[in-house]
Amino acid sequence: MRVQNIKRSSIWKIRLSTATMTLIPAAVGINYVAKAFAEGLKLPVWLGTLGTFLASMLAGPVAGAISGFINNVIYGLTLSPVSTVYAITSIGIGIAVGVLHAKGWFSSAKKVFVSAIIIAIVSAVISTPLNVIFWGGQTGIPWGDSIFAAMIANHIPVWISSFTDEFILDILDKVVVAYLAFFIYRQLPQRMIRFFRDDK
Amino acid sequence: MDNRQQIHLENLSLRYRGIETSALKHISVDAEFGHVIGIIGNHHAGKTSLCRALAGIVPTIISGDVTGTIQVGSLSPNLDWQKYNQQTGVVLQNPAGQLSGLADTVADEIAFDLINQGVPADQIKRRVLNVADQLGLGDQLNQSPGTLSGGQKQRLAIATAIVTDPSILVLDDPTSEMDPLGRQHFFSWLVSVEKKTIFIVSNEVDDLCEIADQIWVLKAGELVAAGKPLTVFNHLKPDWQLAEPTVFRLAKLMKWSIPGGADEFPVTNQQLEEAYYAAN
Amino acid sequence: MNEPNSILQGSVAHRGWTSVIDPVTKLLMALDLALLSFCFTNLLVEIALVFVALVILLISKAGKSAVHAIEFSSFLIFTMLIIQGLFYSHNQTLLVSVVGIRFYQEGLLYAATMGCRIFVIILATSFFMTTTTVSENSKYLEQVGLSYKAVYVLMSVCYILPEMMANMKKIQMAQRARGINQQKTILEKIKSILPVLVPLVIKTLDQSMERSIALRLRGFNSPHRVALKSANLYRHEMVNHRGLSLLAIILIGWKLWIIGSKFI
Repeated sequence: MRVQNIKRSSIWKIRLSTATMTLIPAAVGINYVAKAFAEGLKLPVWLGTLGTFLASMLAGPVAGAISGFINNVIYGLTLSPVSTVYAITSIGIGIAVGVLHAKGWFSSAKKVFVSAIIIAIVSAVISTPLNVIFWGGQTGIPWGDSIFAAMIANHIPVWISSFTDEFILDILDKVVVAYLAFFIYRQLPQRMIRFFRDDK
Repeated sequence: MDNRQQIHLENLSLRYRGIETSALKHISVDAEFGHVIGIIGNHHAGKTSLCRALAGIVPTIISGDVTGTIQVGSLSPNLDWQKYNQQTGVVLQNPAGQLSGLADTVADEIAFDLINQGVPADQIKRRVLNVADQLGLGDQLNQSPGTLSGGQKQRLAIATAIVTDPSILVLDDPTSEMDPLGRQHFFSWLVSVEKKTIFIVSNEVDDLCEIADQIWVLKAGELVAAGKPLTVFNHLKPDWQLAEPTVFRLAKLMKWSIPGGADEFPVTNQQLEEAYYAAN
Repeated sequence: MNEPNSILQGSVAHRGWTSVIDPVTKLLMALDLALLSFCFTNLLVEIALVFVALVILLISKAGKSAVHAIEFSSFLIFTMLIIQGLFYSHNQTLLVSVVGIRFYQEGLLYAATMGCRIFVIILATSFFMTTTTVSENSKYLEQVGLSYKAVYVLMSVCYILPEMMANMKKIQMAQRARGINQQKTILEKIKSILPVLVPLVIKTLDQSMERSIALRLRGFNSPHRVALKSANLYRHEMVNHRGLSLLAIILIGWKLWIIGSKFI
């Protein structure tokens, strides 16, 4: 067995606090489980960004963006390879949640609704081109896709049909996830919130 | 005596950020370097907080205000934590939380601390085998840490703490998930450990009496008693709500007091034997 | 995770041809295959690429994960064939008519090409997944210069998922015993998952807090850390990395050129 020195001057070096570093896998795990719940109960929403929301709220937009990115890469490598490209959407969601939370837009139930709509717009804007490139505009959720099919059957441009399909699903999903995250965040013990916030 | 060879806590207080009451209040106590110190107390007495202060977890990793002095031999967690931490092995309350989460096998898990310290590969192998043998994990070396039982995980946590051969050990309830036999093994192993200062939190007062040089009793963040097991357990106050050692209860029942006339009852097996022969 | 790659083992002499290819090369191979499939729009080329990827996977070690991933995507590809076959905007040539429903050639071709691309990506990533282990990947990534923190984040995800699934199953079993799965509306369903989801989330975050404390205590970010060498003996690492990266850049450049030239 040989031992080799690590090349520390690499451009790949990412600066992360230890707390954020262990929070990211937890966030990915939460995403995964929430998604499994949604599928198991046949909910019309994905819920697969719950962990990303919580990571952004606890440790800021960068932590959320990294969680979302890694989530899709790992999900892509293990289950659905094409979902890897939606990593870009997840980064957008992570940043949006982090910024909105920092600006106080997760402090009351009313504000959360506004946040959810903004996040849904961010998500749909980024996802639509990806849907068009990879799936010809579909989202893969049957009832959303039936809207899509109806729209292009009536000669509405693919981009508009695809955006409508995605946005309708996103609004529902992000409202549910935002309220779940809001609810869970309020249940977290203070020591935990401080731990992830202080450790910078 | 030279202060550098002493454990010296002076006016130690600890308060977590955002919480009004202090978790530790004005603790002052001295002990000898190289001794085994048993820490006991009821729920929320501050045992884990004391461990965190002794390991420097607060304020280095968890934010909090620590005031006063902690001196363990020539080292202090609040002066140069990196250096102090290299000399300290810690076992956290929850053994599963102690694992790196990134090792395929028990052997890799134990090696983690050594790799971090940059120990050469051939030494790593030797040290891992040695430590696994000491803690009875020899047969599990190629198993995944996730497949271990609670007690085995706890032994693994202890193995990772001692593999770097630290001079200070901080053990927060290290036997909570072990079965009686495992616990017995652990305490007899602890007796065999040499040249280490050991702080151990445990509810096993019988075992603590056998191995500890000193017992510290905590109540609501304050140190209410400190001294030899014999002295401490002969002067327990009811409102501390602590269990008495079995030996002590038996001797008290049978009125076998320690020879010498101080009217103290034995707390260890050996003392019990002496008291028994003196009484008969 | 199937083969332990422990510090107790020496170098592994021969475990087939896939063991002499390092993980980064494998990942780049998968990337290049995926990019190739995006550069071509011809269905025959796509089918050839699917075939190539399939052969590579079969001569290495066909994994369950590949079958799973194909199943996962097949349904979506099927709906894609129907939707595009019926409604694709460039549909002109009628191919078949089933009880009055007309399928067009252009749409079906378009959907088939896209379906092939998805299969290429699935097969290529399956090759990477079935021929590498988590610990091999983490050791190699650290060796090539990724910071240990980054390696940790990437790899610990692979370990946390099975852990979470196990936790979830336990909680779900307990919930099912209490008979909680009777709700009808969406809101009721979402409410019903709260008593399972919330404790699970808090427990997970708690564990990551503890882990972060333990890692620092155990000195993982010590400047003295040295990466362990993986037990596999790789060949032509640098040549492979550079060659495949160059190919990837050329393919991306080519595709961008084609897209760009449409606008000029």
